[in-house]
Amino acid sequence: MRSSLRLARPLLRRARLTHTSLRPTATLTTQSTLHSSQPFSTTPHRSSSVNPSEVSHFNALASTWWDPHGSSRILHLMNPLRHDFILSCLSSAPSSPPYPHRYLDIGCGGGIFTESAARLPTTASVTGIDPTPNILAVAKAHASKDPTLTGDRLRYLSATVETLPEEEKGQYDVVTCFEVVEHVDHPAEFLDVCGSFVRPGGWLVLSTIARTWTSWVTTNLVAEDILGVVPKGTHDWNKYINEEELRGHFSGRVGWGAPRVMGVVYVPGLGWKVVPGSEKVGNYFFAVQKVGGV
Amino acid sequence: MDSIARRRAAAFVCQSCTRRSLRIRRQPQRGFSSAASQQTKPNIYDVVCVGGGPAGLSLLTALRANPVTSHLRIALVEAQDLSKLRSWKPPPDRFSNRCSSLTPASALYLDKIGAWRHLDLSRVQPYQEMQVWDGVSDARIEFDWVGSAPSAGATIAYMTENLNLTSGLLKRLDELGGVSIFDGAKVEDISFGEQTEEFNLSEWPVVHLGGGKQLFARLLVGADGANSPVRSFAGIEARGWDYDRHGVVATLELEGEGWGGDQTKIAYQRFLPTGPVAMLPLPGNYSTLVWSTTPRNAALLKSLSTKDFVALVNAAFRLTPTDLEFMHTQSSGQTDEVAWRLEHSEFDRSRIPQAVTNVQEGTIASFPLKMRHADTYIGERVALVGDAAHTIHPLAGQGLNQGQGDVQSLAKAIEYAVAHGQDLGTTMSLESYVSERYAANHVLLGVCDKLNKLYSVGSGPLVPLRSLGLNAVNAFGPLKSFFMSQAAGSGSKLF
Repeated sequence: MRSSLRLARPLLRRARLTHTSLRPTATLTTQSTLHSSQPFSTTPHRSSSVNPSEVSHFNALASTWWDPHGSSRILHLMNPLRHDFILSCLSSAPSSPPYPHRYLDIGCGGGIFTESAARLPTTASVTGIDPTPNILAVAKAHASKDPTLTGDRLRYLSATVETLPEEEKGQYDVVTCFEVVEHVDHPAEFLDVCGSFVRPGGWLVLSTIARTWTSWVTTNLVAEDILGVVPKGTHDWNKYINEEELRGHFSGRVGWGAPRVMGVVYVPGLGWKVVPGSEKVGNYFFAVQKVGGV
Repeated sequence: MDSIARRRAAAFVCQSCTRRSLRIRRQPQRGFSSAASQQTKPNIYDVVCVGGGPAGLSLLTALRANPVTSHLRIALVEAQDLSKLRSWKPPPDRFSNRCSSLTPASALYLDKIGAWRHLDLSRVQPYQEMQVWDGVSDARIEFDWVGSAPSAGATIAYMTENLNLTSGLLKRLDELGGVSIFDGAKVEDISFGEQTEEFNLSEWPVVHLGGGKQLFARLLVGADGANSPVRSFAGIEARGWDYDRHGVVATLELEGEGWGGDQTKIAYQRFLPTGPVAMLPLPGNYSTLVWSTTPRNAALLKSLSTKDFVALVNAAFRLTPTDLEFMHTQSSGQTDEVAWRLEHSEFDRSRIPQAVTNVQEGTIASFPLKMRHADTYIGERVALVGDAAHTIHPLAGQGLNQGQGDVQSLAKAIEYAVAHGQDLGTTMSLESYVSERYAANHVLLGVCDKLNKLYSVGSGPLVPLRSLGLNAVNAFGPLKSFFMSQAAGSGSKLF
């Protein structure tokens, strides 16, 4: 496994670069909350804190978001695993919500997961939220290429979890938050807000990367300090969250079941592979079920 | 290669844009948006398959039979009137001249999608032995399935009339239901859709049928044969060459059921310098002939009387290439020539097919042989299967099986895409199909092409060398069983 991990590194790094730039949601939230005495304030005009150079970077990426051979390819390749993981969670508990499901995709970006969830026959509706209008424009333009993604089935909102209406809370069967939490300054509070949108019996599903020496080397040292392909300070390795920390968080909260975890490794030429135990090393999925389902 | 294909597709967009704007001007109110605003969206399909041959019908049957993909909106466009195929019920002693050798792997898949039991199995003939030899040197390779490959099944392949296969598939498809069938339909044009305020269908292929019907395709499947209009639409080139050979086919009546009786049927193939001649068993006393030869010889064969044709077919498995060459210069009288020569020749009768006694009326036909391989099998919202993707020399009987392999792989790619919410028409969803099938098909196309070239040589140092090769393979059991398992499609995946 060690050798395959080593092989996977350069590509994981690319994935990280992509994620960094594609997932401004939490970063922006964080930036605004940094100067706020109250974390996750619902102050509007959050977008004023957007770094102009980052915005232009996102704009450049926007055109290639859906290019199967572009910089987001690795995310496209990862997407089926997200569904496999969600399915494994739903089917693991009889108290999971019945079909069809309502999804909330937090930090939806260009809509890779959002669209795919909306296309599933078992889906009632999907709401994708992201605070970056340019990226949402890409998501909406791409969705218009598929006439089945109409009406209630798929909607995009320019929003953060804090600006979503109060009445949305407890309404979603599956709340997803892929490659976001590692950019958050106060992940505990952020996760609590995300979790508030999950209905009883529903699932909160995340993916992120473990804080290990390998992830420090690939995403911080190489990408930012040596190659400089990512603006310095984009990644704060100290913000990376390990699986046991997430476990600790949810076990300390009332109302969540035992978490499910799946570690994944990108193997060049083969794609993403589920590797038990790799959640301790690199990319991994994490999910918890809200208790009280039928 | 992908980028080239994309560029070509892009060039095509421009052409169709021009065409599209013409259409818009003609019918300003008939754009997609009016249809889309209706609740039912009648002309939007997930899969539009052009071509109702074995590959197209198998693909749609596979999609309909699978619970993951059975909810897809599917359309079939076929030029011929399918009612004839639905009522196909030939007399038991008449066999079509267009037959294929179905490997056990193909048969298994047809069974899996529920089509096999809809074939008229009394007309399907499994065979257990192959006799293949060099017409110049007489070197042989004997394929005795049971003896040399105990782990494999006893059947090398199933001889099946193509009509029996397509009729069985159509029965199964009708049983499953849910496919919009447009038969007797001419594809007048394929263009791209339009961008409206509501939707952007500018990357969606639109199949225009007679009477103004338009089918919007999330995925357009070209199962439309060697001259595939879908392939042209996608701007995908098919490269290869013509063999300057024709395949002469006929349904033959033999003096008996074959040397092995009803239980052990034998396929025969002899490599002549003009091309391989093959006799493949059908039920009872019947066999099907596939004789690859020069266009001139093919024309002569078709012009002969039944008696002379029968004599020349018997000669093809018995007499020397020189004798055969001479008899192809005669416009008639082959019966006497062959009878006289056979009296003066010695054979091991058990190693050649039983004598042909008759040929069924109206079954002698010929078609040109060629080798083609498309540059790729997919484009954005386009996939090619079967002959639209590749045309192979018939000497190994692999053409139809390659198509079945394509279908199996494409159906799997579609299933995976649907199960994971992917848009099944995108290259992202289809790329596993190409990576699974392209190299495998390419190797097989190449092997059959090289085999044909190798055995087209009538004299010189290549003849003893190739014979040595055949004899060596024959003597070396494990190698032979490996070759046989590949031929039967049951071997481990090599390619």
